[in-house]
Order: sequence, then structure tokens, then C-alpha cells
Amino acid sequence: MGFQKFARGTVAMALVMGAAAAAQAEPLKIALVETLSGPQASTGLLYRDAVKYQIGKINEAGGFGGEPVELLEFDNQGGPVGAADRVRAAISEGADVILQGSSSAVAGQVTEDVRKHNLRNAGDEVLYINLGGEAMELTGSKCHYYHFRTSPNAAIRVNTLLDGMNEAGVLGDNVYAMNQNYSWGVDVQDNTVAASDRLGFTVVEQTLHDVNKIQDFSPYVQRVQAAGADTVITGNWSNDLLLLMKAASGAGLDVRFGTAFLDQPGNIGNAGSVAEGHFLSAPFNPEVNPEETAAFMEDYKSVTGHYPSYVEPTTVFGMMLLQAALEEVEPTEDGLNAADLAVALENATAETPMGTIAMRGADHQAILPMIVQEVSKDAQYKADDTELGFVPIKVISAADAEQPVQDSCEMKRPG
Amino acid sequence: MKYAPLLLLLTVAVLVALPWLVSGSMLNAAVQMLIAALFAMAFGLLCGQAGLLSFGHAAYFGVGAFAAVHAMNAFGGEGLLPTPLLPLVGGATGLVSGLLAGYFSTKRTGVYFAMITLALAELLHALAPHLKTVFGGEAGVSSFRMPAWGIGFGSLNDVYFLTLVWTLLCIGLLYLFSKTPLGRLALGLRENAHRLRFLGYNTHALGTLIFAVSAMFAGVAGALQSMNIEAANYVVLESHISTAVVLNSFIGGVRVFLGPAIGGAVMTFFGHVTSDLTRVWLLYQGIIFVLVMMFLPRGIVGELVERLRSPGSEGFAGTLGTTLMRLASLAVAAFGGVFLVEFLQRFLSAEYRAGVQEGIWPNITLFSHDWAPLSVLPWGFGFGLFGLGIALVVMVNRRVAARKEAQA
Repeated sequence: MGFQKFARGTVAMALVMGAAAAAQAEPLKIALVETLSGPQASTGLLYRDAVKYQIGKINEAGGFGGEPVELLEFDNQGGPVGAADRVRAAISEGADVILQGSSSAVAGQVTEDVRKHNLRNAGDEVLYINLGGEAMELTGSKCHYYHFRTSPNAAIRVNTLLDGMNEAGVLGDNVYAMNQNYSWGVDVQDNTVAASDRLGFTVVEQTLHDVNKIQDFSPYVQRVQAAGADTVITGNWSNDLLLLMKAASGAGLDVRFGTAFLDQPGNIGNAGSVAEGHFLSAPFNPEVNPEETAAFMEDYKSVTGHYPSYVEPTTVFGMMLLQAALEEVEPTEDGLNAADLAVALENATAETPMGTIAMRGADHQAILPMIVQEVSKDAQYKADDTELGFVPIKVISAADAEQPVQDSCEMKRPG
Repeated sequence: MKYAPLLLLLTVAVLVALPWLVSGSMLNAAVQMLIAALFAMAFGLLCGQAGLLSFGHAAYFGVGAFAAVHAMNAFGGEGLLPTPLLPLVGGATGLVSGLLAGYFSTKRTGVYFAMITLALAELLHALAPHLKTVFGGEAGVSSFRMPAWGIGFGSLNDVYFLTLVWTLLCIGLLYLFSKTPLGRLALGLRENAHRLRFLGYNTHALGTLIFAVSAMFAGVAGALQSMNIEAANYVVLESHISTAVVLNSFIGGVRVFLGPAIGGAVMTFFGHVTSDLTRVWLLYQGIIFVLVMMFLPRGIVGELVERLRSPGSEGFAGTLGTTLMRLASLAVAAFGGVFLVEFLQRFLSAEYRAGVQEGIWPNITLFSHDWAPLSVLPWGFGFGLFGLGIALVVMVNRRVAARKEAQA
């Protein structure tokens, strides 16, 4: 008797509590799984600033389902193992959307973890929004329905860079492809070679070198000189980019560099006048659409304390896409149905200061305008407290920047 | 030490019951702690028992991880290699690579041995990004744990039990190994290799064998890790993985049997808990290592075992009493230190500087209290507690010394 009474009481309690929970929709939880400590933290913290900024905007606009969106922060400790752990933690704390961007190695882990979670937990899916992992395979062989990339990739970066430099008449006939020997560098090199016929230049030589190990680039600079190159196209980042440019300037070499990551904070400050006259293709420049952009720049600064640079604008724009998708989704009894959000996000477009950005349904790669820019003293906004900054040379519209869907992407759609 | 078997049984019982006791996030931490513990035990066999300090154990861990992922993809959890037996592949590849690497590196001892292991590990690390078919490029090789033997292996509980069984089995095997003649000879290698050679033993073969066994268990740990995260990425070959296992083992105590395991588990748990709480957790980890090396050179477990074995003149209760008093005073000092570090970190952060306008310094919230950064209060509180803690430790130490002197 005693037990039955107890059991009946418990069931009644559970019913009451369940009803109470249903009456109020659960707030949407978004988890940022970024590198927030250790040597790679500087980039991770930029993603965090940008995500916090735009989530603030989403909440100012009413949040989701009448509740403010909650941001959970997880430190992936810089590697895939920590990321796998934090993705699980995020999901068990009720996150419906996972954000990450600072490393393709981590992105590869997160996208697979999300895919497997969704396979095993049908009806309780989560979304992964890749804010900056630019490796081609993330929208190629590893593409899946719940992964969305809001940053450009190697193909977009290289082709827009070459187009912009070509139209500005600074590309020259002889191009040298100098890249780091791993998947990213290989992607950049392949795309450079593939564009040569279209734009009518010759790739005089291709070099793949060790990643972040070389201290002296002068032998490589000599090869550039011997090959008679007008332009060096490189996907190098961090030290490999700085040391290469410095070695070229030290040898008095008269070539232009076309790069992907020259705007990383610290690069211009470190390179100084060596960086002047080199090129970059990125999804943002503060001098494009001056009125709207200046308002965005100042607003961002008033919230975070600094002007947006490097990955921050792209991250904000990616979050705008998410915001646009959230506006299309009706909250259900237990908060957000991630499958609905995926449908909305596939067709989402957002108006950014740089123009309209959109998500492509076929491989979930964002289609966004790219700006080819040159390092110059004439820039309105200076980088790293130097007298240099980035001057836009050519704005490439989202439609022109678009690159074909990779054949390796076989996306399985639900239903 | 007559309570040791009882303690061991109790620990195992708690480990088995863990999924019903803790949350999913903690169970996840437990899986990683077990893997770190096994990896540290493998390292401890080589470093603690045979006295060979390897700086490249990530290589064998990584080789095991990649072998398991490829086997997982090739067999799909069926046939000869069902999912629960996959760590065998990691162990086998670890053993083979350990035999090869051990042959070269154990030709030398001491610093030269460490350099060779480091060089071999770096060789693999530098090579891995170039071999996209084997190591999967930047995004890594991923896989899927397939059901086998009627177990789904989809849930965290299944993964936990798989890891637990393998870790306990391997630690048991390592214990038995330490009792074999070969295991005993390892101690001889550490204590006096010259005499061992004089007695007619082939020390090079002996070193190679022990190196290979250590690499084998490291490979099992690697396989368990890649089964846990269902992927392997060449970042597991990075040198910080090799460094972490050295630090963990020394913090635990490399010369006591379970020392490395406990060191690995404790430091992994520490990272799991603190990395979400504070941005500067790596600093704390470093401070802990320095303090342990300065004041507990035998490691945490080593020191504990030593204290229990020879309680000295004070008796068991006396030792326990002074240890507790020391710990309490240290906790006071640690709280003061943590307060200062956290306060400074917030004070110097870019976010805070963004909020500072025209000489107005907003309050900083720390430990659910608002502190004015320009007043003497937070600084006095932090330094005061830190100083008080240190003073208490010194006082306890003096009292113990005085009592010893009085008895002598």
C-alpha cells in the first residue's frame, strides 16, 4: 500500500511539473565551443566577442520565442579531443546550435560529432554553424545536412583574389604559388593553378613548404626571383606569412603578394612597411558602403571596445544569417526544433553592410561578397596602430564570388 | 598497507557504479581520465620502472589512435574485429612501432635517449600532415562506432564501460608485468645498467622490450581515445601530448605503481573542470607542477605512500593531523592566490578596458562580490589571505619541527 501511494504521488508530481514546463517554452541555448585558452586563444576570443555582440542584437530584437537566447561558452582547449568533449557537454546542457570557427581540425571533429549525434538521436537534432573552418572538405566529402559554413573557403578566397588583382591590372603574367604543405595550402595551390587558364596567367612555379617550422625564407625568395614571378599567391598565415614577406623585402624583391590572412591582428603591426602594396581578399572592408559600415564599426566598438577586424565581421554576418533563420521558425513546446531551423537556414539571406549574403542549399556554403583590398597608407581605418590599413580595390558581388558545389558533397536530406 | 586490496576493490566498485552516480558531462570527463590514466601508466612503466625518460610518447599514442580508426572503418565492427576488440589493433601497432623505435632509442641512455624519442616523435609529427590518405589531412579521419555483441556503443555509458574494462585490464596486466622477471629486470636497468650487463644480461634487448611493451599500452590508450571521439587527427602527435603525459606522471609520482594513473586522472579532471571556469587554467596547472616538483618530488601518490609507510615519531594520527593542518593553511593561501590572479586577469582583460571611460573604473565582479579596482580592498584581501596562508604553513612546520626536537 505504502509504495503504491508513493508511486501515485510521484506520477502526479511528474505530471504537474511536466505541464508547468510545457507552458513556458525553453529558452534557445546556443553553445560556442571555441579555443579560449592556450596559444591559439587570440583567434578564439575574437569569435567569442563577435558572437556575443550579435547575440546581444538578437536579444535586443526580442530573442527567440519571447525568451532571450542564452549563450553557453565552452573552451575546447585548442584541439579535437577537447572539442569532442565540449560538444557532448554542450548537447547535454541542452544546446540546439553549436558555433565554432578558429580551426579546421576542430571543425572536422565538431561536424562529425554533430552528424553522428543526429544519426543516433533522431528528433533531437543539433545544428553546427561553422564560422571559420575554411577547409574544402567541410563542404565537400564531409558535408552533411546539419553543417552550415558562414565563412568563405579556399576556392572563394583564391578566385576572388585573382579576379580582383587581375581587374586592377596588378596580377601580372607570372604567378608563383607558395603554400604550406597541408590540406589548406594544397587547396590554395590547386585553386590558383585551376584559375590560370581562365585569367590567362602562367603559374611559373609551385612550392609547398613546412608549416610554421621555417625561420629563414631566403632560399624560397631566391626561387621566386629566379622564376621571374610578378605575383606570389599564398595561403600562408601567421609566422609563415610574416617571415616570407620580410625575407622578400629584405632581398629587395619586387613582387606583390596576394594573401588570405594578412588582416590577422598583429600582422600589419609586425610587418610594418613591408606589408605595403600587398593584397588580400576578405569578406569585409570598413570603407565599403561607408555610411552603413561606419555605423556598424562604431556600434561594435561601443560594445566590445575595438573595431571589428579579421574574423569578427564575417562571424557577425554569419550570426545575422542565423538570426534571419530564427525569425522564420516557430518555437515548439520544448523550445526550438533544430530540424525546422535547418530548413529555414538553408534558404536564409541577410542584409549586411557589405551586401546581401545567403546560404546555398546544395552544400550549405554561405555565398557572400568578397572585397579585394590593398595595404596602403591611404586607408581610413588603420590596423594595429600603424599608419597602414586596407583600401578596397574591388568589391566582388556574392554572385560573382560564388564557386561551384564540390562533386564530393553527397548530402543526405531527411525524409 | 594491508588495506590496499580493500581500497582497490572499493575504487573499482565506485568506478563501475559511476554512470548512475554522476552527470553525463562528468562521465565524459571520467572516460578521458581513464584514458589519460592508462597512457600515463604506459609511460610510467618506461620512465618510472626502467628509468628511461621518453619525450615522444605521443607518437605511440597517436599510432594506436590512427590504427584503431582505420580498423573501425575497415571492419565496420564485424567479423574478426568487433568494436570491443578494436583496442587490440592499437596495442599491436603500438607494439610494432615500439619495437622499431625502441631498438634505435635504447642504444643510448639518459638525455640522448630522450632526444632520440623526441626526434622520432617529431619525425612522425612532421610527416603526418603530408600523408593525407593515412592521417586524413587537417580535418582528420573520422569513423563510426558500430554495434557489436548486442551492445549499441552509441551511448556514453557503453563507451564508458568499454574504456573502463580495457583500462582496468591493462593496468592489471601492467601490474602482473612488473612481477615477472622481465619487469624486475626493468628496475635493475634503472638502478644500475652497468652491473646488469656485467651479470650477463643483454641490456639493449631488455630496454627494447620494455620500450615496446610501454608503447603497446600507449597504443591501447590511443585506440580508446579515437574510439571515444570516433575520429583521429594528426594533432594527437603534437609534442604537447608527450609533455602532458610526462607532467601528469611526475605529478602523480612516477616511481609508485599507481602514481602515474592517479596523476593523469587528477590533472585531466582539473583541466576539465577549470577550463570552463577560468581563462588562465593553464597557469594554475603550471603552478601545481612547479609546487609538486619543489615540495613533493616523489609526486602526490609517492609522498602519500611514503608518509603512510613510515609515519615517523608522531604516529599515524599525528601525521594525519599535521597534514590536514598544512592542507587547510595551503587552501587559505591558494584562495588568496587564485583571487589575485583572477582579479588581475579581469582587470587586464580587453573587455574591462572597453568599459573604462574617462578615468571611471567600473567595479569588477568576482566570487559574487563587486570590488572597486582602485581601492585597497581587493588587493589587501588577496595578498592578506595569501600571506596568512603562508604564515600558517610556516607556523605548522615550526611546531612539527619543535615537537620533533623535543622528542629527540
